[in-house]
Amino acid sequence: MSENEQELARDLGFLEAYTIGLGTMIGAGIFVLPSIAAEQAGPASMVSFFGGGLVSLLAALSLSELATGMPKAGGSYYYVNRALGPFFGSIVGWGMWAGLTFASAFYMIGFGQYLLPGLGEYVGFLAGWGQIGITVAALVMAAILTGVNYYGVKETGSLQNVIVLSLVGLILAFLALGIISGPTLGEFNPNGWPAVAATIGTVYVSFIGFEVIATSAEEIKNPSRNLPLAMIAAVVTPTLMYVGVMFVSTGTLSIEALATSKIPVADVATEFMGTIGALVMIVGAVLATVSSANASILSAARVNFAMGRDRILVNWLNEVHDRFRTPYRAITVTGIITLVLIAVGVGVGTLAEVASFMYLVTYALVHVAVVVLRRANPDAYEPSFKIPVGLYPIVPILGFVSCLAILVQMNLIVQAIGTVIIVFGVLWYFGYARDRALSTSLVGEAIAPEPTAMANGEGRYRVVVPVANPETERDLLRMAAASAHAHEDEQAEVIAVNVIEVPRQTSLTQDLTFEEERVERQQELLDSARDIATDLDIGLRTRAIVGRDAGSIILDVIEEENADHVLLGWQGTRSRREHVLGSTIDPVIGRAPCDATLVKLGPEDGRGEGDIIALAGEGPHAPVAAQRAAEFVSAADDASLTLLNVQPPENDSDEDLSPTERGEAVIAELAERAGIEYMSYDTKVKLAEDTEQAIIEVAQEYDTVCVGATRSGAISQAVFGSLPEKIGAEVPQTVVMARGPEESPMSVREAIMRRLEV
Amino acid sequence: MPESLTNHLVVPVVDEEDARETARILDDYEYGRITVVHVIEKGEGVPDKLPLEQAEQRASNAFGAFRGFIPEIDTETAYRRDVVAAILDVAADVDASAIAFRPRGGNRLVQFLSGDTALKLVTDADRPVIALPEETENE
Repeated sequence: MSENEQELARDLGFLEAYTIGLGTMIGAGIFVLPSIAAEQAGPASMVSFFGGGLVSLLAALSLSELATGMPKAGGSYYYVNRALGPFFGSIVGWGMWAGLTFASAFYMIGFGQYLLPGLGEYVGFLAGWGQIGITVAALVMAAILTGVNYYGVKETGSLQNVIVLSLVGLILAFLALGIISGPTLGEFNPNGWPAVAATIGTVYVSFIGFEVIATSAEEIKNPSRNLPLAMIAAVVTPTLMYVGVMFVSTGTLSIEALATSKIPVADVATEFMGTIGALVMIVGAVLATVSSANASILSAARVNFAMGRDRILVNWLNEVHDRFRTPYRAITVTGIITLVLIAVGVGVGTLAEVASFMYLVTYALVHVAVVVLRRANPDAYEPSFKIPVGLYPIVPILGFVSCLAILVQMNLIVQAIGTVIIVFGVLWYFGYARDRALSTSLVGEAIAPEPTAMANGEGRYRVVVPVANPETERDLLRMAAASAHAHEDEQAEVIAVNVIEVPRQTSLTQDLTFEEERVERQQELLDSARDIATDLDIGLRTRAIVGRDAGSIILDVIEEENADHVLLGWQGTRSRREHVLGSTIDPVIGRAPCDATLVKLGPEDGRGEGDIIALAGEGPHAPVAAQRAAEFVSAADDASLTLLNVQPPENDSDEDLSPTERGEAVIAELAERAGIEYMSYDTKVKLAEDTEQAIIEVAQEYDTVCVGATRSGAISQAVFGSLPEKIGAEVPQTVVMARGPEESPMSVREAIMRRLEV
Repeated sequence: MPESLTNHLVVPVVDEEDARETARILDDYEYGRITVVHVIEKGEGVPDKLPLEQAEQRASNAFGAFRGFIPEIDTETAYRRDVVAAILDVAADVDASAIAFRPRGGNRLVQFLSGDTALKLVTDADRPVIALPEETENE
């Protein structure tokens, strides 16, 4: 079922992915930039467009590998944040957001230029509004597009295909007729090669569109094939068209005429296609700029989402509108910034160049991220598309160097604005993100590097233990250590986490200063955890975190640490209403992708020690419970293990076995499934009608009861099931509820991994 | 023997809040099996408005909130552009006796912009549709 669902969630084929990329690529760039590019580098600006294409092709290869390895919303930002940490994550996140808003503003001004001075030649009342008219038109259209995304107006895939394909047809017709008319180039390279290189920076904004394909990675069918193919095709097609358009433009009009034109492509078209041709080009330009800006606003909202998810940005922005089902706040903010940028009037060239600058910085870091991930090779990173053997590491190195080379060639003002945005990202990191970004290891916490920890964390068994109560801390850590020791004596480690929860109404910093007491308590708690770990002879790391919601923070820690097991304490009382076992326990137990254990501590000296009984039922997680029991027994000095099975007294089946024999068989089979058949254990078969009652009675004779989850949750938020929870609530002794890895919580990514492993 | 109307209900929920409210209301009545449905709206050809991860998170939050009141439920997540069609398909798949949902208010404009799913659900359905009251009055 779940695999089926993954398939259903993927509804973009190659053609859709390609047209999404193409639709964003063919935008204002090709319609507005020929005038600026021609002014800067003459006919040689063709080479600039070609160079931009090459740089993008390198980025597309690296991005394809990252996107198939980690198909997550957020695109480049996500990969950089994951590989290089929140410092670079802040820079790229803000950089991409800025880049997309600058690009949107640029598209919209391009729209205004074609709509007013362009259409104004044919439609009387549109003429003569001047620069102010362009700005107003741009503002109005940007506001409309923000509204479209806010209200979640659904565009249709077929409409998109029609627009994109007619744009391609239009440009091809332009090229064909233009070339037939016999363009004659003037001096090919009037301003020299440095100008050509600098022009790459100017025109690079026309190439940022293919990123949209990466941000939609989780929606693409058969991503290992379609994603790289769509990306490469979405880079190559426009590159050839851009080069061709530059060739025709500079060959048809003089450089001076091009440079002063606000609607260069239409003016060129007039020369050989007449008025009709020019009009068609104008309509095409209007459509193209609108579709590009629309895609950019949506992409910006995704970057927002990803930053909020990683706590680099306030999650407030990610609120989903309860009716329109859109991230309306992120869209509104993006829209407002775009409007401001249009209104400020920094000039269409500068807008384009700043967007280019931010994306070149982003792609430079994306290339670094590929190398870092390849070398670090974390477990979760299994790209289904890899840069081909002969091209790695040449592609990322060349890509990185070329991005930097273009960056240093760019206009000083642009470099200054770009640097301001980067510095903002850095300041944001130090001022905000460092203390909150929970998704990465460096942040918001006091890490105590443990000397016994090995340098290389690969393959190490990790147990995450959230601790909150000094009285139960020792027992929980001991039980976690028992589990860790059972796996790898030398390298296993326990990670103690404490979360200070701050209510939503207060700001995190404000609350912290007022609540120094809580921080102090947190420190004490973790200090004593370290002492306990020394006693237990187990590697321990501590993580102190301040955040809104303990459950999701713990889940983040589990994912980051790549934990194998999470062990939580439970007070034994069910909460009413919204939660089943507790607001923190429900999500952690429900969604943790690893083994999860919930411990209700009973009287002292019997907490995972003494006489331990494990329920040997036929449930899917019974073996896990038996394993836990075996781990505790192995770690304790003087402990015994009993496996219990309850059978109905009357045997309805045709088998000759007596109920007791049947129970014994179940137990033997379970021991084998749990891999504990070598251990010495007692078996106990109880005959009773009421299984639950029988278990509760027997359990009270022991010190610790281990029970497996009865609900095998295909759905997250499933808790253990009614039987284990009842035992937990009713048996006064220590009760350990265990389950194995959750089957389908991590959605797309894990499913893909699993499919690839086969 | 005619089937009871509430023998097996399919209950669509939009988000956490909606799920909680719906379950709270439903819990005051007698019901048989319940299958809770959350539809993730897909672009089908264009990128989705919501990142998939966020959408799936919403689904799981909604199911969790529902379980807070009525723990024993089946859940279905559907991925479709057409929300109403997806709900009806799930109802057909599980052979539900009726669809129960909580219509949400809002003025004409908002309903128009959000596609007035309530109206479409009622008119398109091939089985009984039960509209749950906004507030429980029979206490």
